[in-house]
Amino acid sequence: MVILGEPMEAVESAAFDFLLPAGASRLPDGCCGAANIISDWIFRGAGELDSRQLSDALDSLGLHRSVGVGTNFLSIGAALENENLSTALELYTKIINEPKLTNKQFELSKQLALAAVMSLDDDPRKKVMLKLRENFYPEPLGISTVGNLDNINSLTPDKTRQLAKDNFNLTGAIFSLAGKYDFDAVCKQMEKLFDTNAKQPVDSIPLGNKGQKYTHIHNDGAQVHIGMMTETVRPADEQYYNTRMAVSVLSGGMSARLFTEVREKRGLCYAVGAKYHGLKDAAGIACYAGTVPDCAQQTLDVIKEQFDKLAEGIDADEIKRAKAGLKSVLIMSSESSASRASAIASDFYLLERVRSLDEIKEKIEQTSVESVTDFLKSNKFKDYTIVTIGPKQVIVE
Amino acid sequence: MEFKKHILDNGLAVIGEVNPFAKSAAVGFFVRTGSRDEDKIISGVSHFLEHMTFKGTDKLGPLDVNKAFDDTGAQFNAFTSEENTVYYSAVLPEYLEDVTKLWIELGRPSLRDEDFNMEKNVIKEEIAMYEDTPTFDVIDRARSLYFDTHPCGNSILGTRETIDAMSAEQMRVYHQNRYSPNNITLVFAGNFDFDKMLKLASDACSAWQYSQAERKITDYPGKAQTKRIEKQNLVREHICLISPAVSMQDERRFAASLLANIIGDSTGSRYYWALVDKALAEVATMQCESMDGTGAYYSYIRCDRGSTQKVLRKVKILLEDLTNSGIEEDELDKAKNKILSALVLHNEVPMGRLVTVGFNWVYLKQYRTTHQDVEDIKSVTVEDVNTLIRELKPGNFTQYSLGPAR
Repeated sequence: MVILGEPMEAVESAAFDFLLPAGASRLPDGCCGAANIISDWIFRGAGELDSRQLSDALDSLGLHRSVGVGTNFLSIGAALENENLSTALELYTKIINEPKLTNKQFELSKQLALAAVMSLDDDPRKKVMLKLRENFYPEPLGISTVGNLDNINSLTPDKTRQLAKDNFNLTGAIFSLAGKYDFDAVCKQMEKLFDTNAKQPVDSIPLGNKGQKYTHIHNDGAQVHIGMMTETVRPADEQYYNTRMAVSVLSGGMSARLFTEVREKRGLCYAVGAKYHGLKDAAGIACYAGTVPDCAQQTLDVIKEQFDKLAEGIDADEIKRAKAGLKSVLIMSSESSASRASAIASDFYLLERVRSLDEIKEKIEQTSVESVTDFLKSNKFKDYTIVTIGPKQVIVE
Repeated sequence: MEFKKHILDNGLAVIGEVNPFAKSAAVGFFVRTGSRDEDKIISGVSHFLEHMTFKGTDKLGPLDVNKAFDDTGAQFNAFTSEENTVYYSAVLPEYLEDVTKLWIELGRPSLRDEDFNMEKNVIKEEIAMYEDTPTFDVIDRARSLYFDTHPCGNSILGTRETIDAMSAEQMRVYHQNRYSPNNITLVFAGNFDFDKMLKLASDACSAWQYSQAERKITDYPGKAQTKRIEKQNLVREHICLISPAVSMQDERRFAASLLANIIGDSTGSRYYWALVDKALAEVATMQCESMDGTGAYYSYIRCDRGSTQKVLRKVKILLEDLTNSGIEEDELDKAKNKILSALVLHNEVPMGRLVTVGFNWVYLKQYRTTHQDVEDIKSVTVEDVNTLIRELKPGNFTQYSLGPAR
C-alpha cells in the first residue's frame, strides 16, 4: 500500500481515503453491483465490534464517512477533527482487514444494493450518465458503478465474501491523507496496523468492445435527458492540459460556449454542461442537457455544432477566462482537506506521482490559443456516443 | 478572525469576517426576500428575478455579465428559498474588488422585456427538471400541504401558468419594493480588506432608494394532513413528512437541530437503525429548517412501494417511543460530535463562513464566532431536547407521498 500525505497549514481537520482495488470494473463478469454490496457490508461489523458498536464508535469520533464505488477502486474515507485521526485509522483498519461479513447482514446489504439500482429509474439525470459511460467506454471500464439487478440477485454471501477477499489487495491499495497531522506518526501507525509482507500483483484489466452509439430509454417524464460523450486524451497524456482548456472554453463558466449558445441565446435548457472524465486507460468529454421533448432535437444539434466548431478557432479572451477558472478551482479546492486527500490519491493512481499545485498552475499557464487549437485540429471530435431518456427520441446522424 | 460592520445611511448593512490566512475570499448579497413575500399572482417572481439579475444593466448585457464573472475565475451562483435570495461568489483575493463591483452593479438590474421573455423558457425548463426529480418534487409538494395558507407554503419556482402570465413590469415593481437597501446585507468572508470593500459599497450603493420592505412573521404549526399522488413513470415510493420545529430567532435552535440528527442523520440515527439498517428504506433522513419566525422538520424517506405501510408504521412507533421515553445521553453525545465536526469542516473555507456569518446577521442581527456556536451546541442537555420533543410532537406530522400506481 502506498501512503501519500499533504500537510495543510490553515486547517484543523484531517481527511483520508483508502482506495482499494475493488472497483466495479475489477470484479468478474456477472458481479456488477457486488462492489456496492461490499461497500455497505464491510461497515456492518468488524473485528470484535458488531454492526451497532462499529457505527457508534465511528459516530462518537464525529467523523464524516465517505464511501464510493468507482471504476477501479472502492474508496472509503472520512473527514474529521485531527485529534481523532489515530482512533479513526484503527477502526478503518478493522473494517478493511477484519470485516465480519455475516450472512445475515449480507441479505440487508444486498437489498439496499437492489434498491439503489431500482431508484435510478426515478433519477433520469443520473441514469443517463451511467448508461452513457457504459456505452462509451470499452468493456468493462464503463460498467455501472451502481449495479445490475440480475447480477445482484445472483450473488451469494460466499461468492461476495470471496470477491472482497480477493480484491481488498493491499499491494494495489492507495492511502491518502491531507490536513493537519504528523506524517511520520501516521506512517508508523499504518506499518503496525497493516503488518504484512505478502505481495500480490494487481492484474491489468483486458479491454473489450464499446457499446451502442445511440440508446434511447423511454420514460414518460417531463424532460428528455440527453447524455453525449466523445473521446479525448487520457490524464497522463502530454496534451492533457490542452483538452482541459478546450472543455473549459466549451463549458467552464457561464460565458462558455454551451451555456451561451444553448441557454442564454436560445433558452433551450436550464441544465447544460460538459466535463472531462478521465480514467487511466481511456478518457472522454461527457455532456449533459435536459430539455422538454419539443426542444430535444434542437438542443442536441446545437451542442454537437459547438463541439464541431471548437477547432475552427478560439479567442484569446476565452483562453484567458478558461485559465482564470481552472486556476481558481484548483486553489480553492486546496483549502479543503477532503478534496486534497482525494486529489492526491487520484493523481498517484493516474500518473504514478502527485502533482504540486504550482506544477498544475504552470502547466495551465503554458497553454495558449495556438496550443489548444493545434490540439483540437489534430484530435478532431468524432464518434459521439449518445443516450437519451425521456418521452421522445432524437435523430442521430 | 476579526468581525467588521458598517450600516450605510440608507440601511444597507456591510459586514465581514476577516481571515488573513485564507487563500480565498467570498462575497455575497443576502436579500431578505423569497417566495413567502410573493402573492399568488406573481408566484415564482423571487426566483425568476434571481435569474434576471444576471441579465445585466444598461451598461452590461447578459453575455458581458457572464464574461465579467468568468474573467475573475469566480465560483459564483445564487439561490432562492422561501425567505432569502442569496447571490454569492468565491474568488482569489486579488479578484475580490472586481467581483464585488460587478455584484453591486447587478444590484440594480435593467430587467429588460426581451431578456425576461427569453428567460421564461429557462425557468419553465427548470420547473420540468424538478418534476423529473421526485426527491425535490415531493418535498416541495409537502411544504405546500403543511403550510397550507401560510406564505411559507408558496412555491419557490411558481408554476408554468404564473410564469407565463407574469410581466416584466410586475417584476420591476417587486424589485423596487423588496431590493431596498435596508432589506439587503452585503457580506464578506476570508482574506480581504474591509475598509476598501466598504468604500466600494458606500460609493455605489448609497444612492439606492429605500422602500418599506416588510414581512409578516407568523408561526404555523401545520395541519397534519396526509396526501398521496401517483405518477406512472415512478418506480419507488417517495415520502416527505413535515412537523413543527423552532425558528432561527429561537435560542433552542441548536437543541432542535441535534434532535433532527438523533432522529434522522444518514448514519447511526433512529431512522437509520429502524429503516435503513433493516433495508426497509434506502434513504431515511431528517433535517431541521429554522426559518424567520417559524421552523419545520423535514423527513425524506424512499422505499419500495410494497414496504410503505410497514415503513410508516415503524416511523410512527419510533416517534411515539421518542415522545414517551425521550432521548439517551449517548445519542446526544454522538449527535454533538457529528454536528461539531461538520461545523469545523464547513467553516474552514471562506465560502462556508460567508453563509453562516450572513444568515446570523440576516436573522439575528448578530455576529457569532464558530467558538460561540460550538459552546452553545456543547451546552445542550438531554432535558433540553426532551422538553422540545414534548412541545413539538414530531409524531404529529403532515405526510406527502409520491409513487407508482397501486
